[in-house]
Amino acid sequence: MDKPADTLIKKRFINLALISDFAPIVGLILLSILFFVLTDGKIFGPTNLKSLTNQVLITALVGVGAVFVFGAGAFDMSMSGSLALAAILGAKVAMATGSVPYMVLTCLAVSLTLGLIKGLMAAYVDVPFFIVTIVIGALLGALGLLVMGKETVLTVANVPTIRDMTPINVITLGGFYLAALLLFNYTPIGKSCKLIGGNMIAARQSGIKIDRMKIVAFLVAALGVSLAAIIILLRTKTASSTTGGTIGIDIMVALVLGGMPLSGGPRSKISAALIGAATITILNSGLTIIGVGPGTIQIFRGVIFLAVVLVASLNYRTQLLPR
Amino acid sequence: MVETSDSRKELIFEARKICKIFGPTIALNSVDLKIFRGQITGLVGENGSGKSTMSSLAAGIEPASSGEMFFLAKAHKPATMIEGAKAGIGMIVQEMGTVPGISVAENIFIGQEEKFKKFGLISKGRMNQAAREALGAIGSEIDSEESIDRLSMQDRKLIELAKVMYSQPEMLIVDETTTALSHQGREILYNVMRKMKAENKAVLFISHDLPELMAICDTLTVLRDGKFVATLEQSEMSEQKIKRLMVGREMSERYYRTDYDGSCGEAVVLEAKNITTGTGLLMNFSIQLHQGEILGVGGLSHCGMHELGRALFGEEKILTGAVTHIPSREKITSPISAMKHQIGYVSKNRDVEALVLTASIKDNIAAAAYDRLASVGGFIFPNREKNYVNAQIKFLGIKCASMDQNVQYLSGGNKQKVVFGKWVGRDCDILILDCPTRGVDVGVKAAMYDLIYEMKLKGKSIVLISEELTELIGMSDRLVIIKNGKQAGEFMRSKDLTETTIIESMI
Repeated sequence: MDKPADTLIKKRFINLALISDFAPIVGLILLSILFFVLTDGKIFGPTNLKSLTNQVLITALVGVGAVFVFGAGAFDMSMSGSLALAAILGAKVAMATGSVPYMVLTCLAVSLTLGLIKGLMAAYVDVPFFIVTIVIGALLGALGLLVMGKETVLTVANVPTIRDMTPINVITLGGFYLAALLLFNYTPIGKSCKLIGGNMIAARQSGIKIDRMKIVAFLVAALGVSLAAIIILLRTKTASSTTGGTIGIDIMVALVLGGMPLSGGPRSKISAALIGAATITILNSGLTIIGVGPGTIQIFRGVIFLAVVLVASLNYRTQLLPR
Repeated sequence: MVETSDSRKELIFEARKICKIFGPTIALNSVDLKIFRGQITGLVGENGSGKSTMSSLAAGIEPASSGEMFFLAKAHKPATMIEGAKAGIGMIVQEMGTVPGISVAENIFIGQEEKFKKFGLISKGRMNQAAREALGAIGSEIDSEESIDRLSMQDRKLIELAKVMYSQPEMLIVDETTTALSHQGREILYNVMRKMKAENKAVLFISHDLPELMAICDTLTVLRDGKFVATLEQSEMSEQKIKRLMVGREMSERYYRTDYDGSCGEAVVLEAKNITTGTGLLMNFSIQLHQGEILGVGGLSHCGMHELGRALFGEEKILTGAVTHIPSREKITSPISAMKHQIGYVSKNRDVEALVLTASIKDNIAAAAYDRLASVGGFIFPNREKNYVNAQIKFLGIKCASMDQNVQYLSGGNKQKVVFGKWVGRDCDILILDCPTRGVDVGVKAAMYDLIYEMKLKGKSIVLISEELTELIGMSDRLVIIKNGKQAGEFMRSKDLTETTIIESMI
């Protein structure tokens, strides 16, 4: 009954630290093993491995940037719309000019402009911002369809095909990941984002420029989106209104599975995007291989998302208890 | 001490070897506590000594890590505050317990609306009637139909009291409520406590105010660092003795500065001219702060003094007039512009405005110093940040297991030291302190007074806003009293300055 407090404390502290740090990676490993067994190893077979890495790459690129936005306590439900529009306009320019540099620049310009608009609105418009992003998402989708006109898929035939995407993939994700890691953990920008997500008033009273930081966060996220659009165009040489897919939801699930609270704050981390992207992709792919239909997969993801949010918020509540 | 008289008195609550752990902090370490019927039991200790934790365990706000509790001769293990209330323990908490946006009556009967159901609808008339009775029972005249948002902090506390008393608890726990109450509000609370005592029920009273505790408590239990230290009978209580037991060493008599030299530099460093704040609490208000001056600002809690503090830091919306940093002739319009001129601000609402509770001590202290810490290229090198934070932790004597520990687990006094660390580290020239010693124990209080005085001697300027007159008299070079948004009195530092003279100008 009356254990010495010191041993109790030591045990609990170590347990908590271990759980919160390693749960996401342990979850990823367990899930990998599970689907390896269920699919007789097919999930990591040579054909599927390629499609796995391609999907992880896109989700991770968008997710890493999104950590800044979600970390600062803002929400963005319009990332799939931004991705699609950047890819569509990039494809249009490529079709017209046949130039890869012009295509790359277009993707960057479109996405960063959208990021700037969202950032300005997040900073200066006084409405619950996630509602604004839902509307923006719908608008971007409509805009994409408008640009496409009668066509359903844009195919870029007049730029050279890249036979091996691996070096580009590695350099893009590796570079962006490292840069984001540095920016998020070792500069005032990232540190400010985390504090804003933790307590905006306290951040403001510490002299942090809330408005400017929110805009920067959206610009970093937009950079991730544009990189994803460029990679998609280089690899598939096609773009359509569905290019963004379900990336908006995927990213939220990925961040949560990666061990970051969606409400942001000091516990936000860049690694959550990478680990979470791998987890959600393996889950999607594994379920498809064992013959689960897309509708059922959607339900699976929904349930897992809810479960993780529930567990995370339980943990959050106990930590918020008084004294 | 108590053992001899145990036989005469009837035990109502007992805690045996209670431990409570939050993350890396031991809040309670094997504490025993006995509470008897017909008595007001005081619980005292420095911040982080475990008083509030003890009461929250008894009330069911959180479970104990180990140990046993007994209430009304039965094992007591409430899982929630509702279970605690059902067992017969009513508690008024330190933090705000009322729900905004609804009426007084709705607040009193929150969760009990069923009682007023009539044909499936809730009868507002009957609820208001019952609320009037509940308020009347504690001797308060608050209008039960008023919206809670229009009431002062004091009235809200009294509503909580009415709500708790309505369920007729066998034991009442009052946790640091009196800091939010005026003289009149305190009398209401004391009367309720005395009535409980007369009815052979029990009261557990937690407060930082030693004279108050000595006046009202029958016995007083002292905790230190989560451990039981002593229980004193009324005859054994003396302020000096209690302080010694709380701190664990002899306290010097000196608390405030001992000199009566109220002089300061000639130069004005910060000036508010004809300011009217957005909330309308300050009207056409002007004030000047000089170099090396400790400027005390006092008044009743809604007089506008807290808004003045915010306005001087650029945090409050100003309709007319301006706040100007005189040496640079620049206007202060935001915290960023204030910090540019080495102005720092310690908010009255520490947990809501001054700290990111989920962040570490390191992140909180470094938060106000990114401009200082960033090297060429904007990078903050971890070592530089650690050294900076470590220097503040050492200078202020912040008690913590590590600087990576979350701030939310720290005691009130240590939290406040972290807030001070933000500004001491920046070496601020002007520091605006809004109730800096609120909810802070004697040891930390004394350290803060020393720090404020040292800053003055170094030629720094301090605005000390406080609801405690003794503190204002004890520390200020010049004391300005605000009443209804206007200056109602100005007093220079003097040996003869008394609370009575000042109170006259306040009311």
